Amino acid sequence: MMLQEVAIGHETVRWEPVPAEEAVIQVQNLNLYYGKHQALYNVSVNFPRNKITAIIGPSGCGKSTLLRSLNRMNDLIPGVRIEGKVIYEGVDIYDPRVDPVEVRRHIGMVFQKPNPFPKSIYENVVFSLRLQGQKEGLDEVVEQALRRAALWEEVKDKLHEIALRLSGGQQQRLCIARAIAAEPPLLLLDEPTSALDPIATERIESLLLELKQHYSLIIVTHNMQQAARIADRTIFMHLGVLIEEGPTNVLFTNPKDKRTEAYITGRFG
Amino acid sequence: MQKGLSLDSSQSPQNLRRDRINRLFARAVVIPTVIALALIGVLLLDTLYDTVSVQVVEVTETSGKSFALSQALTADQVIRLELLAQGKSPEEVAALMSDPDEMRVFRLRNRVELMWATQEGPLRWVVSSIDDERIANYSLFEGLRRWNELKEGLQENQQLRLNPWLDYSFLTRDPSRNPISAGLRVALFGTLWVLGLTLAMSIPIGVGTAIYLEEYAPKNRLTRFIEVNLRNLAGVPSIVFGLLGLAVFVRGMEFGPTIISAALTMALLIMPTITIAAREALRSVPDSIRFAAYALGATKWQTVTMVVLPSSIPGIATGVILAATRAIGEAAPLLIVGAAAYVAFVPRGIFSEYTVLPVQIYLWISANLSEFANTAAAGIIVLLVTLAGLYALAFWIRRRYRVEW
Repeated sequence: MMLQEVAIGHETVRWEPVPAEEAVIQVQNLNLYYGKHQALYNVSVNFPRNKITAIIGPSGCGKSTLLRSLNRMNDLIPGVRIEGKVIYEGVDIYDPRVDPVEVRRHIGMVFQKPNPFPKSIYENVVFSLRLQGQKEGLDEVVEQALRRAALWEEVKDKLHEIALRLSGGQQQRLCIARAIAAEPPLLLLDEPTSALDPIATERIESLLLELKQHYSLIIVTHNMQQAARIADRTIFMHLGVLIEEGPTNVLFTNPKDKRTEAYITGRFG
Repeated sequence: MQKGLSLDSSQSPQNLRRDRINRLFARAVVIPTVIALALIGVLLLDTLYDTVSVQVVEVTETSGKSFALSQALTADQVIRLELLAQGKSPEEVAALMSDPDEMRVFRLRNRVELMWATQEGPLRWVVSSIDDERIANYSLFEGLRRWNELKEGLQENQQLRLNPWLDYSFLTRDPSRNPISAGLRVALFGTLWVLGLTLAMSIPIGVGTAIYLEEYAPKNRLTRFIEVNLRNLAGVPSIVFGLLGLAVFVRGMEFGPTIISAALTMALLIMPTITIAAREALRSVPDSIRFAAYALGATKWQTVTMVVLPSSIPGIATGVILAATRAIGEAAPLLIVGAAAYVAFVPRGIFSEYTVLPVQIYLWISANLSEFANTAAAGIIVLLVTLAGLYALAFWIRRRYRVEW
């Protein structure tokens, strides 16, 4: 019956939350419902700029839902209702005057399964620029995005081949290149390595560590070692509630909440 | 009961019997395939057989000459020789041949053809006039069997020929009440006109419907009702569409028996097929691709036009080609909306009268002159080859451009 108690809305335990002026995006009192089912309970958290924040938690804890709330991807699911604020650059992205399409141009996203378009590598990378009708300087953008995604050396001679011929790890790096081509300040990654083998995973992780010089990164992962390896801060969620949040080393070595401790020591999850 | 694996169990009576039954069954299920292939083979061979016949022809003074391949290689050279043989001077011949109207009249009244065998020898050009009276028309087998007998019995001014009805000039000759000079040109152009106009109307509407139903429409009772009825519509007998076309386009809108009526009727007939094929193609694009586009800041319209539609073009193209084969092969609705019995001219516009391949074949088959059976057979072969070509194209597109998600 412990689960019931948690669902009612446990007090969140925090250390030194990220100050508002260092936050790239702030979530305030976010409640999210799929029809009658409530998936997020009163979540409040600040995500720091130019850092990697990991969201961990067992399956169904709402970590992907929280991530998708940050670029309004949940709007695409019928029957979703959202209360609360998500403030990006001083603007609440759920303000009725804000265009969700515009939000997604500022906040990039990479998905669990690599999903390149069935087009050439080149066309995949420039897709977001084509959306906005840009025709000049595409070659430079392709080279820079692919270099930053650590894919340039492998594909520079076959930019016009169809992207689906690449390996899974290459496809995922292409998806990252595609997401950063339009220079979004914030990049969301939803379990980006869960469909990849260990070597490809290692490459993506070192890539993410490089990318945080230029972008703020939020990564959902079910892999605690991955969070420990790459994240500056970590958020632990359970049954739609943000249980604990803090610097990664503190959260992993000295968790305040019993459930956090139970999860990171592998007693459930 | 013996335990363990016995080494001679494969030779036991029950197992031998079991293996025999398995073999018999495996053979039995092949039989329907063999029967189907055999029937198609018989149909094709019989039709091909009918495209050749042996004729005894009574020629007039101005016709009936034949020329060896060594004398003339092209039909134009044959016409020149023929005109010279009719006693015209080289200047007159040159003048005649440079005048398109004169040539048109010549071709309407004569047929220049490379015949496989004549009494003077094999592979000779024969110029026949529509005034030639044809004494007898024998099927290939009978004609060859009695070739020498027929050759002996020829009277003066009579010729014996092995006539291949299906050749290039068959495609370029205008229709005629005389089978010897009848050709498919008008029907081919009619088919092209009707097909082109049909596709021009049914592709945008059919694909548009599919995009709306698949990408935009809410999934509720109404859209399910529409989906079920689309499938029903695709199964409605084509003659019903013909009656609809007659009532609405021919009579109601007073288009008359013209190409536009036929194309509108055919468009209605194949639109459900195109819509269903396009929906399947759109549905095969995984949602992860749509989400990828949205996450990059694409609007719904951009997602559909820049990602979903291009990814499903191969599937849509295949569906459109299969729908086109149906439009080409249908005779019934066009007979009702008035593919005319005899059209001498290639259509000049959408309000022209027309005839199409299957209707032309139907008219030839129902004609009472036995030689029209040969032209009909030749027409059937042309139709079948066209359809087979389109099927091959659809197959090729599917293999070449299929996306492996």
